[in-house]
Amino acid sequence: MAEITKQPKDTKAKKKVKIDVGDGAAIPSRDDVGLFTAWRVAFFGAITIIAYLAIFKPDPYLDIMKFVPDGILVTFEVTVMSILLSLVIGLFTGLGRIAKNPLINGIASLYVEVIRGIPLLVQLFYIYFALGRIIQMPPMPSAILAMGICYGAYMGEIFRAGIQSIPKGQTEAARSLGMSTSQSMYHVILPQAFKTILPPVGNEFVALLKDSSLVSILAVADLLRRGREFAAESFNYFETYTVVALVYLVITLFLSKLISIMEEKIGAE
Amino acid sequence: MVEMKGVAKYFGTLKALDDVDLDVYDGEKVVIIGPSGSGKSTLLRSVNKLEEINAGSIIVDGFEINDPKTDINKVREEVGMVFQQFNVFPHKTVMQNLTLAQIVVRKRSRQESEAIATELLKKVGILEKANEYPTKLSGGQQQRVAIARALAMQPKLMLFDEPTSALDPEMIGEVLEVMVRLAKEGMTMIVVTHEMGFAREVADRVIFMDEGRILEEGSPEHFFKNPTHERTQQFMRQIL
Repeated sequence: MAEITKQPKDTKAKKKVKIDVGDGAAIPSRDDVGLFTAWRVAFFGAITIIAYLAIFKPDPYLDIMKFVPDGILVTFEVTVMSILLSLVIGLFTGLGRIAKNPLINGIASLYVEVIRGIPLLVQLFYIYFALGRIIQMPPMPSAILAMGICYGAYMGEIFRAGIQSIPKGQTEAARSLGMSTSQSMYHVILPQAFKTILPPVGNEFVALLKDSSLVSILAVADLLRRGREFAAESFNYFETYTVVALVYLVITLFLSKLISIMEEKIGAE
Repeated sequence: MVEMKGVAKYFGTLKALDDVDLDVYDGEKVVIIGPSGSGKSTLLRSVNKLEEINAGSIIVDGFEINDPKTDINKVREEVGMVFQQFNVFPHKTVMQNLTLAQIVVRKRSRQESEAIATELLKKVGILEKANEYPTKLSGGQQQRVAIARALAMQPKLMLFDEPTSALDPEMIGEVLEVMVRLAKEGMTMIVVTHEMGFAREVADRVIFMDEGRILEEGSPEHFFKNPTHERTQQFMRQIL
């Protein structure tokens, strides 16, 4: 369009903002040619191997593949519930981290520091076994709670960075129209921040899916747990864990791809 | 409409505003000029409390805005502001930019808000862009959206903070034209700008600021013909 000549500086700068939080699961971007092919090799390679094993070595591979899918569903359930919980916690933590009120800010910051300083596995044990003395929750809610609380701290940092990436002028414009702090946050800042935080949230989603294998320790019958059960009975450790690893790989790669496509669509809007 | 007395503002040890007194009457158009860093933007932004002052009092529309009992949001409803960087909402269409605060703050219905917005978009000449996103618009068009967005609240006072400084020269005219029309309709306006042509056409009073103080005030003609202060003379030579 010929009319586009000059954009305000801050909206221009905003387009380039890429917030870098999280532990960077490999979501391929289109610019990254090497990774893009690596993704293809890994993804289609894994599928080919699974298909080959199922067809040419049905004993025990086909049996394993019939046994573990229940676990995939549980893995997804844990992942999705945990991510939802962590998004809610993360939103409030992020808002707390930028709050001017020193008490709220302090609590949010303390939460982030403490949780990020404790390994997830320890947190899982803590909520299920240690807190079990006070309230004994079933494994599944314990797992979701622990993962949600843990990832909530990381999400909080993503939300904080996302909110802070929106130019100050947006808040000023909203406030000058008579909107309250919460109205301008809800109507003006957060909708814009959501776009910015989508890539890192996608990263966290994939990371959380992988970390969800830790919940098998709490007797949640996820993908890894189902594999362990099968292996323990049949003594086919090599075969079982090969299948488990391949299934995780395919799911993770698939999700990474899905997220990067979604990202591109949103970016194009 | 605005009464400022003994207003002071510090950024660290820097005195951005130093004991400023300024009254603006209903319907008056005041243009503030001055070199960068003279405190003119800070002065303007303190009128709707985007900057909090350290001393003095500011009464806007009968409310002492620095009184903790004053609901600043209520005061801001009546005070429109236009920024140098436009600050249109990029995630909302032009129409939604104009209706958002009407619905959320003024509690108007969608239909009513859209009717008001349509009128204003017609007035600033971008009705055909109503359903576009502002990022697709030129700078001049974005600024006209921003003006219409502020007007949609039907404010009693409009503040303009260097509204044309971020624009390409060929777009300055279309924005000034809207502002001139607004002034002729009787809006009370405080405008920080370097556009002396605009000042000459609409200003009732021009204020020259330097180092956080009001150094000189008078009619536009006074500034063109015989500014008293040496600093003012120097500044006028530079911008004309």
